[in-house]
Amino acid sequence: MLRSPYFMVGLGLLSALALVASTFWNAPQLNDWLFRISTLIILATSWNLMANAGLVSLGHSAFWGVGSYTAVLAANAFGGSVLLTFTLALVVGGVMGALLALVTGSLKGIFFAIVTLALSEGLRICALMVPEVTGGAVGLFLKQELRPSQHTLYLFGALAAVGSVVVAAVIAGSKLQFASRAMRDNEAAAQMLGIAPRRQRLIVVAISGAMASAAGAINAWYGGYLDPEVAFTLHNTILSQIAPILGGIHTIAGPVVGAVAIIALSEGTRIWLGTMEGVSQLTFGLILVVCILFLPKGLVGLVQGGPNRRKPTPAPRLPLASTQGAKP
Amino acid sequence: MHRLSSGGILPILALATTLAATPALAQESIKIGVPMELSGRFVAYGASGKRGVEFATEVYGGKVAGKKIELLVRDIQSESQATISVFNELVSKEKVNYIIGPIGSPTVAAAIPAWRQGKPIWLVPGSSSTKLEEEVGGDPEFFHTFPYAYNYHESIAAALKNQLPAGQKVAMIYTDDNYGRTHQPYAKKYLTDAGFEVVLEEIVRTNAADMNPLLTKIARVKPDVLLGLVQTTDAVTLAKQIYTRKLPVPYLIGTAATQLDEWQKAVGTAQEGWVGVTTYLPGLNRPGNQEFPKLFPPSSEWEAMFVKKYGQEPDFEDAGCYVSAMLLFLAIERAGGDDKEKVAAELRKMDIPNTLLGRAKFVSTPSGTKQQAFTDMVVFQRENGKNVMLFPPGPETKKIKAVTY
Amino acid sequence: MDLIPQLIVDALLLGGIYTLMVIGLALSFGVTRVINFAHGEAVMLGAYGAFTVFVAFGVDPLIAMPVLMVAGCVLGMVLFKVAIAPVLKAPHVNQILLTFGIGLVLQNLALVIWSPDGRSVVPSYAYSSFEFGDVVVSGGRLIGFGIAAVLVLALFFWLKRTEFGRATRALAEQHDAAVLMGINVNQMYALAFGLSVALGVATGVILSFLGAITPFMGFHILVKGFAIIVLGGLGSIVGAVLGAFLLAFAETAVSYYVPNGTGWAEAVAFLTLFLVLVLRPRGIIGQAVAD
Repeated sequence: MLRSPYFMVGLGLLSALALVASTFWNAPQLNDWLFRISTLIILATSWNLMANAGLVSLGHSAFWGVGSYTAVLAANAFGGSVLLTFTLALVVGGVMGALLALVTGSLKGIFFAIVTLALSEGLRICALMVPEVTGGAVGLFLKQELRPSQHTLYLFGALAAVGSVVVAAVIAGSKLQFASRAMRDNEAAAQMLGIAPRRQRLIVVAISGAMASAAGAINAWYGGYLDPEVAFTLHNTILSQIAPILGGIHTIAGPVVGAVAIIALSEGTRIWLGTMEGVSQLTFGLILVVCILFLPKGLVGLVQGGPNRRKPTPAPRLPLASTQGAKP
Repeated sequence: MHRLSSGGILPILALATTLAATPALAQESIKIGVPMELSGRFVAYGASGKRGVEFATEVYGGKVAGKKIELLVRDIQSESQATISVFNELVSKEKVNYIIGPIGSPTVAAAIPAWRQGKPIWLVPGSSSTKLEEEVGGDPEFFHTFPYAYNYHESIAAALKNQLPAGQKVAMIYTDDNYGRTHQPYAKKYLTDAGFEVVLEEIVRTNAADMNPLLTKIARVKPDVLLGLVQTTDAVTLAKQIYTRKLPVPYLIGTAATQLDEWQKAVGTAQEGWVGVTTYLPGLNRPGNQEFPKLFPPSSEWEAMFVKKYGQEPDFEDAGCYVSAMLLFLAIERAGGDDKEKVAAELRKMDIPNTLLGRAKFVSTPSGTKQQAFTDMVVFQRENGKNVMLFPPGPETKKIKAVTY
Repeated sequence: MDLIPQLIVDALLLGGIYTLMVIGLALSFGVTRVINFAHGEAVMLGAYGAFTVFVAFGVDPLIAMPVLMVAGCVLGMVLFKVAIAPVLKAPHVNQILLTFGIGLVLQNLALVIWSPDGRSVVPSYAYSSFEFGDVVVSGGRLIGFGIAAVLVLALFFWLKRTEFGRATRALAEQHDAAVLMGINVNQMYALAFGLSVALGVATGVILSFLGAITPFMGFHILVKGFAIIVLGGLGSIVGAVLGAFLLAFAETAVSYYVPNGTGWAEAVAFLTLFLVLVLRPRGIIGQAVAD
């Protein structure tokens, strides 16, 4: 029964409903966790979209950070609402993604990854060095009177998370998915099949960028404070990939399951081991290592993982790996 | 591929249930939130803060107004999301009436929006950021027990004016982080007002491996004073590289690290002649309080107790958090129990001379903090591995010495 | 005062440290194709190793360095066999996260063992310096530069002249052919990985007396290290050396001539990397971007 698609879709819908409904329940700590899970679902789903097209991003904090600053600056400058700044962040992130895709041309694998890492670190330094705009390291507060109630934000986060998964599901059923998969496996072959890799790539990176940026925007409203370290911390980049990998890369459920697992794990270790300096992060790291070593297909793979089962996708082998044995 | 599943909500529910089921001690205890940086980049501060509060609780006897003191110590991981989660938990779930901490300027800033949801009494024994003052200084629940950036530079400017001839040239190095950016304008203002000429201001990246280009630029303008507005590891790099190239600047001032045992050990002989400024130093020999001899003994006795328990000398945050916690306990005692409004009123009324940090009295600052205590700072110089007092003027103060190589 | 001689000296000495930092990364990537996100932690542990022997036994870091490097090499080989070898065939993302996780564990282990306090080692030469006219040369940095040069040359010699070295190179350049020739792949991988850790440890030993040691010092170094090896061309050791010096010169020049340049220096590093990748995706000397 566990493997029936209807069951899984039903479970998904039920979870989505539960997530949205939970925001009407007044349980501060649970609300907080579910909010963090929601933003992480968006971020991880966004990362997974790029990974589906063979693009490993090490720079999701760049989108997240730009989205955060877009939200706070727009809100403070002209009193924009959550919805308005969210939309603005979507647009800005999308444009940024499209530009990134244009500039990086056909860069793949580790090269694309390092460019995104450089982008994210470069933006962090810019944010530090132009305090006239960003407030610099001293930081920026979102005007308190503009902030809606926490519960509005919980609801907004939950809806956005559900929305991001729906987008991923729609893409999974569209031509873009097949194009992505073809690109991931072999770009040249994709081209022969009449798929225009550059255009597909531009679309994928733009959608992914828009999503990550929007997640940053919601989080900025929730946090109410921003500095370059908060906005562009590599922590978000790392989380955005741990979640899909822990959950199950190249699946729709993977990022969701992974996001839940990550927050449960990091909060669990923080709460139970946090009073001893360093022990919480140490345990978190150990569990991460063990999971990657022993759960290569992620938690989703654990549930599905019958040996005879038809694989839903070809072996998740990123082109990053295909530089292996490349001839100069 | 089309399977949608968020089945993993269940584990988080289980986690929440377990946490909710922790024994309810609410009736017999008074809960005090202690959010501290127990991991991540500010762990050195947070660890001190936790020690200070715990030590105070122990010395006080573990009970206040007849109820057990229950410290809810939380790790905020020097990171904004964990800080927000912890404050949400303490403010909205645990509904604590009192919070002490955190310490680092960025973490305190990140905590503000979440703190506002319930506004428990908040003693902040750290963050010299004036942005903090701007944001929450006017809040009646906010009690700042640490100096602001301008207190530092007022003291330094006064000390230098006292010690050096007028018109000397000052060069400044500041980091691009919260600390450097906050302090740089105040340093400039107070030094200029005191008659010094600021000839060079240079920014440096935190964790920079090489400060030599900066030092070359500084050597060119031939300043009399170098002011380093940089924190711990950067202060180590700066001091070592200055000493290595025998930078010809006679007076070296470090605002953040000179008083720290950690810095002194790390730079070794390079510490000679550095001037520092702080709220508290081991070996200050401050007198004890007559009324509360057990809580506020003479600083030398307190240091001995501390060393006996923790095997190391206390730093300024150990002392700052110890005193902050003590003030809160006394206020709760005087209020006769766990009543937030009464405790706040008691804190405002409080006037206790001769604590480790000097007189404990909350006053309002001209720039908008309603309740501010402990802005007295000492300026000292490292000489032969010891601290020599330069400011404020008193029987033990000496003349500043130029650095020689 | 003319700045150029001092600029050249500063950039060369910085480049030496960068070189040492990245040849290990370049070696392990070139051979095993694993991007080691825990390399910074090898540097960190090397620095703490030097600190510990200096404080506990009064042994000079430079004397302890060979022993620490051997220990690092052995630990690296063990780590490779236990944790890295099982994911050699996995996607690179998994390897990135695995090594990142290992790094996180090592950072916090160091935090528990050595406390979060910043440390440093101060042997006498750390504070020596020489003046040639206007130009100041730091003794510690000069020593660091010398060691970097020796180690890079030794690595080249090893790769070109020894049997093991040639086998390693064969593996890096013609993987399948090398396997057919009967080279024990896993053994060679482990050795290359161990050597890269040893080089990281050596970097740490030198940094221990140049700057401050903290549990988190590694990750910061690492990001720049990646920039350098990609700049030079992944997997190429000559490229890595060139990349290191290119970056050192760019950063130092910006620090000297641009107002607030020290603040911008790192952004320049990332901008250069961005431009090089976009304009010449193979790096200065390097391999193909895609098949």
